[in-house]
Amino acid sequence: MNITDWIASLQSLRDRALGELADAQDMRQLDEWRVQYLGKKSDLTQISRQMGQLPAEERPVLGEHVNQVRSVLQDALTKKQEALHAAELERRFAAETIDVTAPGRRKPRGSMHPLTQIIEEIVEIFVAMGYEVAEGPEVETDEYNFEKLNLPKHHPARDMQDTFYLTESLLLRTQTSPMQVRTMERMRPNVPVKVIAPGKVYRRDEDDATHSHMFHQIEGLVVGEGIRMSDLKGTLELFARSVFGADQTVRLRPSFFPFTEPSAELDIRCTNCGGSGCRMCKDTGWLEILGCGMVHPRVLDGAGYDSRRFSGFAFGMGPERIAMLKYGIEDIRLLYQNDLRLLRQFHRVL
Amino acid sequence: MKLSYQWISQYVDLHDVSPEALAELLTRAGLEVEAVTARNQGVRGVVVGEVLDCQPHPNADRLRVCTVNVGAAEPSIIVCGASNVAVGQKVPTALPGAELPGGSIGVAKLRGVASHGMLCSAEELGLETKLLGKEQTEGLYLLPADAPVGADLVAYLHLDDVVLDIGLTPNRSDCLSIRGLAHEIAALLDRPTTFPERRTPTTEGPSPVSIRIETPLCARYEAQVFDGVAVGPSPVWMQMRLMAMGIRPISLPVDITNYVMLEWGQPLHAFDLDTVRQQTIVVRAGRAGETLVTLDGETRKLDEDTLVISDAERAIGIAGVMGGQNSEITAGTKSVVLESAAFDAVSVRRTGQRLGLKSEAQQRFEKGIDPNAITGALVRATELFAELTGATPVGAPVCVDGPGTKLSMAARAVPFQPARCNMLLGTDHGPELMRDVFRRLGFAVETETDDQWRVLVPPRRPDVVLEADLVEEVGRIAGYAAIPSTLPATSTTVGYRPPLQVLSRRTRNVLMAVGMNEVVTYTLTHPREVDALRVPADSPYRSMIPLLHPMSEERTALRTHMLPSLAEVARYNLAHGVSGGAIFEVGRVYWPTELPLRQQPCEHLQWAGLWFGELEPAVGERARPYDFYDAKGAIETWLEALGWLDDARFVPVRMHWLHPGRSAEVQILGQRVGTFGEVHPETAAALDIRRAVYAEFDLERLQALTKAEWKVQRLPKYPASRRDLAVLVDVGVPVQALLDAARDAAAEASILENCALFDIYQGKGVAEGQKSVAVAFRYRADDRTLTDDEIVQVEQRIVRAWADQFGATLRTV
Repeated sequence: MNITDWIASLQSLRDRALGELADAQDMRQLDEWRVQYLGKKSDLTQISRQMGQLPAEERPVLGEHVNQVRSVLQDALTKKQEALHAAELERRFAAETIDVTAPGRRKPRGSMHPLTQIIEEIVEIFVAMGYEVAEGPEVETDEYNFEKLNLPKHHPARDMQDTFYLTESLLLRTQTSPMQVRTMERMRPNVPVKVIAPGKVYRRDEDDATHSHMFHQIEGLVVGEGIRMSDLKGTLELFARSVFGADQTVRLRPSFFPFTEPSAELDIRCTNCGGSGCRMCKDTGWLEILGCGMVHPRVLDGAGYDSRRFSGFAFGMGPERIAMLKYGIEDIRLLYQNDLRLLRQFHRVL
Repeated sequence: MKLSYQWISQYVDLHDVSPEALAELLTRAGLEVEAVTARNQGVRGVVVGEVLDCQPHPNADRLRVCTVNVGAAEPSIIVCGASNVAVGQKVPTALPGAELPGGSIGVAKLRGVASHGMLCSAEELGLETKLLGKEQTEGLYLLPADAPVGADLVAYLHLDDVVLDIGLTPNRSDCLSIRGLAHEIAALLDRPTTFPERRTPTTEGPSPVSIRIETPLCARYEAQVFDGVAVGPSPVWMQMRLMAMGIRPISLPVDITNYVMLEWGQPLHAFDLDTVRQQTIVVRAGRAGETLVTLDGETRKLDEDTLVISDAERAIGIAGVMGGQNSEITAGTKSVVLESAAFDAVSVRRTGQRLGLKSEAQQRFEKGIDPNAITGALVRATELFAELTGATPVGAPVCVDGPGTKLSMAARAVPFQPARCNMLLGTDHGPELMRDVFRRLGFAVETETDDQWRVLVPPRRPDVVLEADLVEEVGRIAGYAAIPSTLPATSTTVGYRPPLQVLSRRTRNVLMAVGMNEVVTYTLTHPREVDALRVPADSPYRSMIPLLHPMSEERTALRTHMLPSLAEVARYNLAHGVSGGAIFEVGRVYWPTELPLRQQPCEHLQWAGLWFGELEPAVGERARPYDFYDAKGAIETWLEALGWLDDARFVPVRMHWLHPGRSAEVQILGQRVGTFGEVHPETAAALDIRRAVYAEFDLERLQALTKAEWKVQRLPKYPASRRDLAVLVDVGVPVQALLDAARDAAAEASILENCALFDIYQGKGVAEGQKSVAVAFRYRADDRTLTDDEIVQVEQRIVRAWADQFGATLRTV
């Protein structure tokens, strides 16, 4: 055979090999093909070995052809391998495909009661401002619930709260305000006193959409030298912005509580209409959310802080009302019904 | 307190202040206006008509065809269905085109007869029917005989008024009168009051009545006698004013006393002088056994604490609360003695409370009256009696002071420091502004030094006693809007939560994380709820603190146990289609040290959990009831989160309300911190919750335990070997005992790092009465890789221990 024949035979070898490669279906066939065309016993190897029979000057020419075919076949093999690999993956993926819309395997989340969430949120605001959390007895003495709060027996202002009495002198506290006195008596003569006291309170009210015989209050008290009513306003403004949004504004409105003087109600901009007037705020644009004032001098003096030297502010708010405003709960009884269909909506992290 | 806009306009110039603006002004000053209501509810085009003729309707038995003179050239023919219509009556007549609160009036054919308008009832006119007598609300609203025919009804009835409903705080007793409100509004608007000239008594001579005060609880008693009183209805304008203020018109003498009380804030009372024996009035304490039938027809028991008005022989009234029937003004009354007095606030309040009464007079006395109004009101009433009843005052008014503390008519001097006022408010008000506030309020100012004033507060303002009260007045009148927003300039403090609070928070967070829902339940419950707990009769759980006056039959005492509270939640949810749930509450139970209660009880903080109904199944799982191990898992996770799990021991326990074979107590450092288990079937049945698991843990006891300091374990350097063992034991052998025995047996070699249950099986392949327990062991040394030999030796020791102690046999699979 002369060189032309060798070259022709090389080309037919290449064509045959490529043809078979194209038909290969899997890695096994591919491997057979590799042995057949690129292996040690392949025709291509045979040709290289027989190259010695050619004249010396023609050997490099044929060698180059052999290398070329080898490289073509090698490249084709690599490509085919990749293609087959990809196809195989495709097949596997198709077989392994699952329904991603089916539900995940979840641990059921529990929930925190909305009142706890509100109380925690509010208490946390004041803890961050350096207040100490205090909790006190729900079964209170008349002395702490009323008398030490400037509400002597037979004072008409006692009518503001209908009381559950247990004995003549023991009662279910009608407000968290006794904690003002208990805290001052514990802390005196130290200042500043900064305390936030959440807890349950009780009133002899018929349960309806807006009244509950048991509900919660959060009492705040600050006593020190030079405490001003403007400090009360500023503090509550911070609180209102934190709970109801950074654009909140507050206003103080004169009011009366026996244990504060001056006394005020704190209004915030209506959370429903933003102040333009709606049914919820009775067209006033404001919502009343808490009562507050400067600690009455008699309360200060009675608790051991000389009212000529010290002053203080106090406030008391109802988390039920705030929860109802924030979450759109229209009936206070829902907060005590514990319907799991409602409570489970509080799975969210608020 | 209701306020008639028309009435107040007489005493303060309100020409440029609308009722709505007045409401806003008062609200911003602390007199919260809760409602602004027009008295005219939509009446227009209604006139006074006179019924000239009244014939039966040809086609209807109950209708009448009336000819009504409405002041026009021709009378109107109007069909009327009211049973009280009669010829000669003056009646409100709505002519065609008229408007009523219920709609407009036209010409309508009623059973074939054209009716040119409508004769109206009180309700159709939108009048306050609950303040009117039966005869005024049934059928047509009949007008007085002197009502001018054709006159516009709105004008005639003074319906062009607006009523402000003020939610007065109890300190502002001064605003329980028109005059008091006039002072307040005048101060807010900085306008003068326009009261008529101060009146003085005009009557002279000896009075037929003699007065004696025998108790210090009456500081003053003034009285005026009238003769020739004609008792009839009061004039329309007075009736309408009373109604606007929410008071029922009764008869002229009574209406006058109420009218003057509304105007002056001083309660008055009228007695029929002819019933006052020996024309003597004595103010004294009641006597044991004494009774009095009051105006409302009730027989009242009087006692030494009751302040009584009596004549020479018997009680004729309860001072400041209610008069007696025996001295009541009747249609036949000719002579009247009118009382204007100062009764002790506390005494009146206590008597009212004891008798369950809350009259207008009582409310004013208990909050404190203006001593200067006692005479003023009596003089004003004298004037109205003379003018309206045709009565003649007899003799000068009698005025007697009581034996106790004298009334102070003078202004009260209250020290005031302008600088301190600004400090307390956080404001920068100048002294001139403060002076101006006091001038507007009618408080005189005496200046001792620039920074030490004396403010003279008139007795009509009993609420202003201390400097702080004056500070509030300055803040209020100058406006709270002038107070800036600042923060307290105290030394820095660190926020702090007490440990029990922290423990409660952590508990809530962990229980929520394990899928439980927090509930908040009422702490008031009923003693019979404890019956379900199966506790003995002398159990402390039955010592519930009762309320003296419960509000409902269901909630009469404070709970001693939380299971009934949680069961109520379960019951509610099961009844509302919820298939089950895991709920918990962090709350208090109330344990008295003794009953009847003498001191504050122990309020014990617990958390309690209830797993009831079915567990919501995940996809592909089947629904199943919650069981003991669901609860135990939650409890273990909770203990783990608190760092107590390794110290906790679960020991079988018997609690009355739990299944004796399925309940455990948790001991930590030898102390019981809680119990849990399946609810006793009888308890579950009594609570109507079917099967459930209940747990309760004592947070205070847990808080009191001291925890050892905790550090992380070093990570191991050498590999561990896992070996499993399965043994057959009697079903009664607790897993915990097997694990404890294994640890003991392996203790010496100290290569057993961990052992844990991984399977427990009873049934096919295991003999009756036995169970298969499979335990996984992890062996490791911290200084070498273990050899098989070492492990097998320990393993054999464990197997031997199990065999010796529990008769366990190795199970070959």
